[in-house]
Amino acid sequence: MLAWSTVFVAVCLQALPFLVLGVALSAAISTFVPPSFFARVLPRHPALAVPVAGVAGVVLPGCECASVPVAGSLVRRGVPPAAAFAFLLAAPAINPVVLVATAVAFPGRPEMVGARFVASLAVAVLMGWLWSLWGRSGWLRLPAPVATAPGATRVRAFGDAMQHDLVHAGGFLVVGAATAATLAVLVPRRWLDAVAGSPLLSVLVLAGLAVVLAICSEADAFVAASLTSFSLTSRLVFLVVGPAVDVKLVALQAGTFGGRFAVRFAPVTLVVAVLVAVGVGEVLL
Amino acid sequence: MSARPDRTTQHVLLLLLGVVTLVVAGSDRYLDYVRAGFRPFLLVAGAVVLAVAVVGLLGRRPASRSGHEHPGPAVGWLLAAPVAVVLVVAPPALGAYSADRLPATPVTVAGSPPPGIGADDPGTDHRTMTLLAYTIWSAQPDTSALADRRVRLVGFVSPREAGGWYLTRLRVNCCAADATALRVAVPDGSAEFAPDQWVEVVGGFTEPVVDPAVGFAQPAVDALWVRRVEAPAETYE
Repeated sequence: MLAWSTVFVAVCLQALPFLVLGVALSAAISTFVPPSFFARVLPRHPALAVPVAGVAGVVLPGCECASVPVAGSLVRRGVPPAAAFAFLLAAPAINPVVLVATAVAFPGRPEMVGARFVASLAVAVLMGWLWSLWGRSGWLRLPAPVATAPGATRVRAFGDAMQHDLVHAGGFLVVGAATAATLAVLVPRRWLDAVAGSPLLSVLVLAGLAVVLAICSEADAFVAASLTSFSLTSRLVFLVVGPAVDVKLVALQAGTFGGRFAVRFAPVTLVVAVLVAVGVGEVLL
Repeated sequence: MSARPDRTTQHVLLLLLGVVTLVVAGSDRYLDYVRAGFRPFLLVAGAVVLAVAVVGLLGRRPASRSGHEHPGPAVGWLLAAPVAVVLVVAPPALGAYSADRLPATPVTVAGSPPPGIGADDPGTDHRTMTLLAYTIWSAQPDTSALADRRVRLVGFVSPREAGGWYLTRLRVNCCAADATALRVAVPDGSAEFAPDQWVEVVGGFTEPVVDPAVGFAQPAVDALWVRRVEAPAETYE
């Protein structure tokens, strides 16, 4: 129990600065950059807009909790859904805050950062293209505009956004930290080692863990780093799947875009993310 | 009480989180959880969380009755959990219980023969080494640098099935969640030293031994004498 508490507090403390930085930056952007700006800079053609939107995810630091509402507002402002989804999947995985956290969590392994960037961007762009080929707008229930207090100053809006995101993402961080601590303390090492010894099982188990743990992308690298007995490729799967599909993200997507969207989008994303991550891991790691 | 925290409650939760973060980072306690170099980030993060909470609490009062309040997400209540754990449980650094369950620190053996472990500590007949350094030196193909030398190692006692005990340190990359264990066997270690007791061991090199319960070679030390010591502020290596 003491060991659980120590690991729990350690994960919370380690992730907190990254969470605060990400929330502050994302609050600043969502407050001070008008959404129409994104609509203006995207190419008209969806096939081109998808990769551009994916790469644009680099500039929006935030974890997946922040990117879902942003993607919703992008769709509302006329951005093609395919591009918005590429952004939705890319932003939490490849922004500088997450990449720096990944580099800190894997000291001496810069290729892990590169592999994460390449694999996550590829998943985002592939999913965007898949949507523009087969997606139906009927699956979408477009989000209602976010109510803003009348006469609120931008500074006040900034403070509100920060407070909301901190409480929201912070709460989910605590869930992730508690789960990670429970796993670290309870799961027998021999069992994990046995799973880690099998390439196929380790990929599947870590993909499942990523979905169930639902750790914020700003903190998941530290959890992946702690799974020392697993191969780098299977840990890359964990890092690529986590920001794209997890239980809390599916819940957020269902709330923002509708359940009919979420039940189709999430499983396909999971399969694409696992395949891409294994492929990239084989080449780069 | 509402199931979802209202604005004021959210600010109080953030206030507590910020204060606790600053308290932990302001003392040596943060060393039980994260690396020493992480302190500035913790201080900044704690200050920002505190500032958001204070600004929210102060600025909210005049406008609190205007418009309808959006209750925060129910998951926000969980912010109280780390605060409560730090205040109530005050978890210590990981110890012998965890050392028994953690994987061993991976050690890479340098290709070229090392030049030597260095001179004795001033005024003594032994050389202080970290457990990591001792483990690396023990794993070299050529251990002559350790021959006829006395080394001083500091760590805590953890149980060893094959007799004696392990002198143990945990090694941490980022935070306690990624800890790995460095264990040096003290096969003739006296039972008067209980698990989690911090000790210094001065002794000579002996060949790594294979504990049947572990299955691979572990560094060992032939202890000349063992003495109780205070736990260091930074318990991780």
